[in-house]
Amino acid sequence: MEHTEHLEHTETPSDMKSQIWKTFWILLGFTVVDIVLYFVLLSTHAMWKNWVFIILGVVKAYYIVGVFMHMKFERKALMYTIVLPMVFVIFFVALMLIEGDFTNVLRWLK
Amino acid sequence: MATNTLTTNTKFTWGGGKSPFSVSYGKLMMWIFLLSDAFTFSSLLIAYGFIRYSFLEPIRNTIVKPFDHLSHEFVREMGEKGLFVKEHWPSPELVFNHFPFIHGVHLPLFFVSLMTFILIFSSVTMVLAVEAGHRMAKDEVSKYMFLTIIGGAAFLGCQAWEWTTFIGEGATLHGNPFGPTSFAALFFIVTGFHGFHVFSGVLLNVIIYFNVLAGTYEKRGHYEMVEKVGLYWHFVDLVWVFVFTFFYLI
Repeated sequence: MEHTEHLEHTETPSDMKSQIWKTFWILLGFTVVDIVLYFVLLSTHAMWKNWVFIILGVVKAYYIVGVFMHMKFERKALMYTIVLPMVFVIFFVALMLIEGDFTNVLRWLK
Repeated sequence: MATNTLTTNTKFTWGGGKSPFSVSYGKLMMWIFLLSDAFTFSSLLIAYGFIRYSFLEPIRNTIVKPFDHLSHEFVREMGEKGLFVKEHWPSPELVFNHFPFIHGVHLPLFFVSLMTFILIFSSVTMVLAVEAGHRMAKDEVSKYMFLTIIGGAAFLGCQAWEWTTFIGEGATLHGNPFGPTSFAALFFIVTGFHGFHVFSGVLLNVIIYFNVLAGTYEKRGHYEMVEKVGLYWHFVDLVWVFVFTFFYLI
């Protein structure tokens, strides 16, 4: 046998380098949007503001996982194996925020 | 019956011959590990959300604006003005407002934005190293791996400075002058856990970097180890996106 081994992997697109730089500018852009919004909305305390930041975070996560971590080019089955279990996290977030709200009420009930 | 299909080299491929999802064993296991790590970080961030939500909203700050003068007694003054109390979660804007070498200026978010940019840069150099690995370009792989290590080390340095400043202001795991005890405790636990991941990532990157220099992957015929540490490194960047959002932006 030779020293080299054969590896199975999904194909990388031929324009990977330009895709990497495009993703980099998108990530940088969204981070700048985050920062600008932060200062514009500095004195605003509203729930929708939090959601804007969370949605921007999820969008950035999509680009990091999709392009940087190569998930967009992998088999769909692998993508669902990794991404679908995160649905439980969304459920957990909702549960604990509701619970936190109750705790908030109980904490100041004397 | 094709019995000879099972005589593939089981040392490198899956026992059955064709690997599931068309990825190698190591990469699939890295993904599974990252999923479990994502659960761990989610739990920590959810705990943060729960505890923060169980306190009253931060009090609106109408006293200091960005670029305003900061006195040495800023934390005590804010406490006296009623902005740091036990019942309300403190506004991150009034806590993380320092920048190295610039004293006495209220600069919320500036330093942590710099940290975020550093991590994005080190992420892009990492993915460029992976891309160069596909082309078997050893010099480029080592160049980008080196830049990634520098980025990671710079981030760790920033975090050390951030912690030092925060501890210097009196924040501990069991108390802080900003309000609820759990505020500083959660900050130390979550950013500490993330920082430890960055540290491990830098360590792994250094090992792989020396292997690249030694020509280990040239001999092996592929740079898949660079891809695997790349996955881990991007995950660390991914977690930072959410730490940045929940601890500083919101």
